[in-house]
Amino acid sequence: MAKPRDRRRVVVTGQGVVSAIGTGQEAFWNALKSGECGIGEATLYSTDELYITIDGEVKNFDARELGLSKQFLLSDRYSQFAGCAAVEAVNQSGLEMPLKGDEALRTACIIGSGIGGVTTMEMSYRMLFEEKKRATHPLTLLKTIGSSAAAHVSIEYGITGPCFGVVSACSTAPHSIGLVYQMIQSGLCDKGIGGASEASLNWGTAKAWQAMRVLSPDGLFPFCKGRNGTVLSEGAAILVLEEYEHARERGAKILAELVGFGMTSDAADMVNPSLEGTSTAMQLALDDAGLAPGDIDYINAHGTATTANDINETRAIRRVFGKAADDVSISATKSMHGHCLGAGGGVEAVGVIMAMEEGIVPPTIGFDEPDPECDLDYTPNKARKREITYAMSNSFAFGGLNAVLVFGPAPA
Amino acid sequence: MDDVATKIIDILKKNMKEPTDSIALETPLTDLDIESLDLAVIVFDIEDTFGIEIPYNANEEVEDFATVGSVVDKVKAIMSENKSPGAAA
Repeated sequence: MAKPRDRRRVVVTGQGVVSAIGTGQEAFWNALKSGECGIGEATLYSTDELYITIDGEVKNFDARELGLSKQFLLSDRYSQFAGCAAVEAVNQSGLEMPLKGDEALRTACIIGSGIGGVTTMEMSYRMLFEEKKRATHPLTLLKTIGSSAAAHVSIEYGITGPCFGVVSACSTAPHSIGLVYQMIQSGLCDKGIGGASEASLNWGTAKAWQAMRVLSPDGLFPFCKGRNGTVLSEGAAILVLEEYEHARERGAKILAELVGFGMTSDAADMVNPSLEGTSTAMQLALDDAGLAPGDIDYINAHGTATTANDINETRAIRRVFGKAADDVSISATKSMHGHCLGAGGGVEAVGVIMAMEEGIVPPTIGFDEPDPECDLDYTPNKARKREITYAMSNSFAFGGLNAVLVFGPAPA
Repeated sequence: MDDVATKIIDILKKNMKEPTDSIALETPLTDLDIESLDLAVIVFDIEDTFGIEIPYNANEEVEDFATVGSVVDKVKAIMSENKSPGAAA
């Protein structure tokens, strides 16, 4: 447990989440620990000419009712999700906003998205190609670009330091959070907002995913023998990260410490994950944290319920953890909130931090018969009480882009 | 070899890195260096060519995609289902 202390430490002082099982961390966590499923029949678009008709939608999301500022009311749903999660995270952190002067300059705002405002894009194409309108809506471009969520949040809070979006498909959130962590660690910034948002549920996206033949027609069942693909969903998660002394001096409540970050690229295949790339990312995160595998109590797995991911991830955990693999609690909470793509690893990071705080491992739901090749403890169906000191969150994206975060307790 | 089989073999060849002329009905798809993503592209091509929909899921082992001949049989079966009355439902 000898962690190198010769560098600046980074803590989490706020978090916000929007998901198919709840908006706001309290609703989200209550659903997560009680094993609620947010996957159901799609309602946001017509399922005509689709044979995959389920997804995980954020219910009753009304930006105006949530009190978001005017700039968010005019933005794409993906930016609104980010705005909503950012407001929750910043409020919890107790930081005084908007920021000013040097403090604003030494704050980062890195909010990515797998695909950005693609629903706005689809609506605009419909207007042009189908309805033969003479022009698109004037805000089409600003709503669509994948950096608009980051820009909107920086405007909201007067953040004048590094601000951009990160794109790495289903690893977008941990890459964004990891970058903010490194910026704080290196001394470039003292705090930052990191996370990702996704709201790509529309007819065209559903068509595109369906054509890839990786979606399940009936649910997301990670590590099960009968798993038959993933389920698209949407959501957002934002963390407020802060240099430890900075947080301590202002008396902030520290939710967790971000102790390790590892990232690799398989450099092998667009869809089939590699054992080498995924296990090395986990190992690098452990090395960065100065932890041994046996120190990890809980892993929130990438667990997409595709044939390829779940076997590869199981083998990667066995490879890195060795004997400790049989003692670590694992769960794939995508079984509940679905696969919210770029936002996935962020939503799962919030779940990890709350699991640590409450000492409860959320379950993998819909778990009936285990796949003999997936032979770890996936916390089937029911949450379990367990003291969690250190926890890992895995994200392994299409293209072989891997990012792993390790969280620990607030520094004593 | 009939028209359906010839067209399917042409589609397979188009999607192979090194197309070979020695593709027979009994050739297993695994011998053709076809992976899951290739298969999604091939199924898309077949659907387009024959105007049908094939319920293929890359996460499931499907016997219909074991050999060239089994793909041909599957396509023919779907085509004849589409022709039969009431198939539109």
